[in-house]
Amino acid sequence: MSQDLKPDPTVIGAVSAPPFAVLPDPARLFGVRAKRLRTYAAVSPLKPYLDFVAGLIEAQQAIVPTLPPVEAPAPEKLERVRAFEMPALERATTLLDDTLEATLDQLFDAAARVPMPEEAAAALTRVRLADGPVRAQMVRDVLAHDLPVERLAEHVYVAAGLQVHFARRAAALEAKKLVPVGDGVCPCCGGPPVASLIVEWPNAHGNRFCACSLCSTLWHYVRIRCCACGTTKGIGYQEIEGSPGTVKAETCDECHTYVKVMYQNKDVTIEPVADDIGTLGLDLMMRQGPYRRAAFNPFLLGY
Amino acid sequence: MNMELSRRTFLKTSGAGLAGTTLGAFGFSEAEAAVAAAVKPFHLVNTTEARNTCTYCSVACGIIIYSKGDLKKGEKADIVHIEGDADHPTNRGTLCPKGSALRDIVKSQTRLTQPMLRKAGSDTFEAVSWDVALDKIARAMKDDRDANFVATNADGVTVNRWLTTGFLAASATTNETAFATYKVVRSTGILAFDNQARV
Repeated sequence: MSQDLKPDPTVIGAVSAPPFAVLPDPARLFGVRAKRLRTYAAVSPLKPYLDFVAGLIEAQQAIVPTLPPVEAPAPEKLERVRAFEMPALERATTLLDDTLEATLDQLFDAAARVPMPEEAAAALTRVRLADGPVRAQMVRDVLAHDLPVERLAEHVYVAAGLQVHFARRAAALEAKKLVPVGDGVCPCCGGPPVASLIVEWPNAHGNRFCACSLCSTLWHYVRIRCCACGTTKGIGYQEIEGSPGTVKAETCDECHTYVKVMYQNKDVTIEPVADDIGTLGLDLMMRQGPYRRAAFNPFLLGY
Repeated sequence: MNMELSRRTFLKTSGAGLAGTTLGAFGFSEAEAAVAAAVKPFHLVNTTEARNTCTYCSVACGIIIYSKGDLKKGEKADIVHIEGDADHPTNRGTLCPKGSALRDIVKSQTRLTQPMLRKAGSDTFEAVSWDVALDKIARAMKDDRDANFVATNADGVTVNRWLTTGFLAASATTNETAFATYKVVRSTGILAFDNQARV
């Protein structure tokens, strides 16, 4: 028998060695998200809203190729945040620079072509007119999650622009150089997760990744652990009776919150932001219980 | 970045402090109401995922046990699935064929759930209480030890050996349990002793 034909048991079955972080691919990210929303729209009573958000996300995807390049943070600055276990992209010092201005302008122009109700159209007109310090203040408020109720819609448009901006900035980083910065905190931008995914990848079998609501980075997070406070005590999983078991609310008895966990290993088409919006029914039912929503999703605020 | 502050602000916006919702602000209140109506006939069910250690062998692989029903609410929980724990450093989510069949062991109709005794001359096992079983084991051990205990060897040196009985303790025990088991078993003089079932 030749040397090559000898059995090699070490290659049977891959050992799970999940990466700590997976950076977004802005060239595909929003397209996949919009497509998933359209799938939900075909069967959901939430169809009008899902179609509107899908249109907005398609606009996000459409502007990506035409935007000016983003500036990567200086290497010495990245070394410093790494040494102090801080997120690589700082929110507090994110300024309304020319690139972000262009992103917002282009997104608002593209969004104007999406069919929408009067309220949404009026808010879009208002946010397009806002510029200079007003717009800079809106950017700061969205990044600080300090959204005024009376001008919520305008801020969600800005949040959509920031999602494009931060996904592009995150994509310019090096995933291997990111470090854990805290429980339920994105190592790229310091944001809370929109949901967590149980994945089935060639190098990660049944591992869990949190998905960032702002920059769409995925970061590894131990399973059966609260995504908000990090405890492993009193974790439960609630789902709608008779549902396929692909999206559940992971509840925590310590901080009384929940974040959805999505079993992408059971349904590979799951996309965290799209599925979060598509499963609004679960949030409406969870509202009657003792747990509050800890996830952040600009398209699903107030639940 | 002050995460504590940010989280508090965020809870304020996502909790009772915020009257409106994104859907309402964009003018989709009707769609939201339609979803609320659609889910109204349904209930939420609780499932649990619990970490544990595989009971088979000394490798002690991590497993995740999925069950339906909420024990905390006094409901009966029922194991529906068992899989390898991807976060566990020993097995990283993998399981051997025996470990993969753990749920079938739990659910097996022939699973031993109480002490069984086959009396001398009988051809069937019958269920007995733990008291009966432990008394019988203790009697048998005592008789065997009294008959076969080796206090000294041929040279008259004290050795205190009990070679006619062996002891096999469980896997998936804590260090403390293993320590206590060792002390108890070795103090009787038993030498054939394994603290984890290497099978």
